[in-house]
Amino acid sequence: MSDKDTEFFEKFQDKITRVIKKPRRIYFNIKNEDLWEIADYLFNTMGCRLSICTATEVYDGLEVLYHFSDDTTGIYYNPRVKTGLENPEINSIAPMIAGANWIEREMYDLFGIMFKGHPDLKKLLTINSPHFGEDDHPMRFNRNRTKEK
Amino acid sequence: MSKCRIPLGPFHPLLEEAEFFDIKVEGEKVVDIEMETGWMHRGHEKISETKSYTQSIFLVERICGICSTSHPFAAAHAMEDVDNVEIPERAQYIRIFIGEMERIHSHLLWLGLAGHFIGYDTLWMWAWKYREPVLQIFEKVSGNRNHYAMFRVGGVSRDFDNALIPEIHPTLDMLEKKMLMIAGAAQDDPVLRSRLKGVGVLTKEAAINYCATGPTARASGVDIDVRRDDGLEYDLVDFPVRVLHNGDVYDKLVVRVLEIIDSVNIVRQCLEAFPKVGGEYLNKVKHISPGEGIGRYEAPRGEVFHYIRSDGSNRPLRHKVRAPSFSNIPTYKASCVGIPLADALITLAAVDPCYCCTERSIRVVDKNNKKLEHNLLTMSREKTANLKKAVAGSEKTPIDRIFED
Repeated sequence: MSDKDTEFFEKFQDKITRVIKKPRRIYFNIKNEDLWEIADYLFNTMGCRLSICTATEVYDGLEVLYHFSDDTTGIYYNPRVKTGLENPEINSIAPMIAGANWIEREMYDLFGIMFKGHPDLKKLLTINSPHFGEDDHPMRFNRNRTKEK
Repeated sequence: MSKCRIPLGPFHPLLEEAEFFDIKVEGEKVVDIEMETGWMHRGHEKISETKSYTQSIFLVERICGICSTSHPFAAAHAMEDVDNVEIPERAQYIRIFIGEMERIHSHLLWLGLAGHFIGYDTLWMWAWKYREPVLQIFEKVSGNRNHYAMFRVGGVSRDFDNALIPEIHPTLDMLEKKMLMIAGAAQDDPVLRSRLKGVGVLTKEAAINYCATGPTARASGVDIDVRRDDGLEYDLVDFPVRVLHNGDVYDKLVVRVLEIIDSVNIVRQCLEAFPKVGGEYLNKVKHISPGEGIGRYEAPRGEVFHYIRSDGSNRPLRHKVRAPSFSNIPTYKASCVGIPLADALITLAAVDPCYCCTERSIRVVDKNNKKLEHNLLTMSREKTANLKKAVAGSEKTPIDRIFED
């Protein structure tokens, strides 16, 4: 473990829960209200790059896993934010990181997660599809699916 | 001056998959660019949840036709990352060999098309001529010219035949010689320099903010290369990471030409190692335990990212795929604004999206409501032809001289 790593976990020890450490991969849970502060520290202070975010539907809600890559050490920092199944909402980090714009639009499109504060939240991948309407989010299980016409 | 809106796409030879660019111009100058995507969404992530792990590797190989091995590479890494599976040394060398040969032919394809778009068809024909022997080597090694189906969780599916080594060396020597010649031509040729130098600049700050990867980021001075940063197989070989600082199309070309030469050297190191390293080429993995894994690989275009979440069954619970172009394409917004329309073409192409669609001409209505038909490709070529006349005059360019020989 590098110095940057220890410093990061000491600074945010109150805000981080359930840390899983694997070689070069660190997964941890954070709360929605701490997301901006932690993403700001990872991106601007530690110089990490936002690779992508993975949204997953699990039995008790939706999870969004942010993948921040530290390219100097090869370590991946993966903060995980949870939200509910009904009206999922997460704070947007697109005003800070331009690369997050498309990433959040993709998650809104496929999972219907509303990103609060996103400059231009609209569908990305199914925007021109004749099979999906505005309220259809194709990666959700049994919800908001297009009915057979 | 009034603004004019030019639609580019959704089907255009320059765009990877089918995307729609809405370019706003003032006279010749691009003032704004908006993008719309989703014309080719195939739902690979969802399909992968219904396939077993081995089938998933074949599925993701079909995402890209040119860099077809980079997705299986990253997917296999992600599946191995769940359990920290060890890979036999011979399999590691075979993986590097396949990955680097693919980088050579993918960069040569880009080089040829870049030449074609700016009206340098000689470069196009040369690059594609030298690409053909690489594909023939692939056919000998794996049985296929593309979609090699070499990857498995825990190793590779076929062994490398050591008897092929003497046949591969002459091709590598030829490639290195020709790449040095093209690098020299790019340096000497006044037309190529003035057509590409300072065009479509992506600054270092913009590259970091848009999270760009691969040659797009390295040409802008961002020192990232997954092969070096993530290690794994690539700890076995030596190679430099090429970083240039101008961020224009010319630097992106130079980065790619230098990387072809580096890849040739890496392949040579693999060929040296093959007779010495024997033994198994597949560590059979029968079960993937519940957990999460992240795998990545430096594809010719940048970082390919795969995330696997396993529940202990033989299928992934969630399989996230991120191709490098997903983070590279939005950089157009930073690099295209403020440049002439004829340069927008090569700037859009400089990120190296795949080219699989047909050509599309644009149609603009003028003041008298008459149709003006422009063709971006012709416009770009005309610019190069005029430049060629202005710069070279009656003198012959180095490329013309080599062509005469």
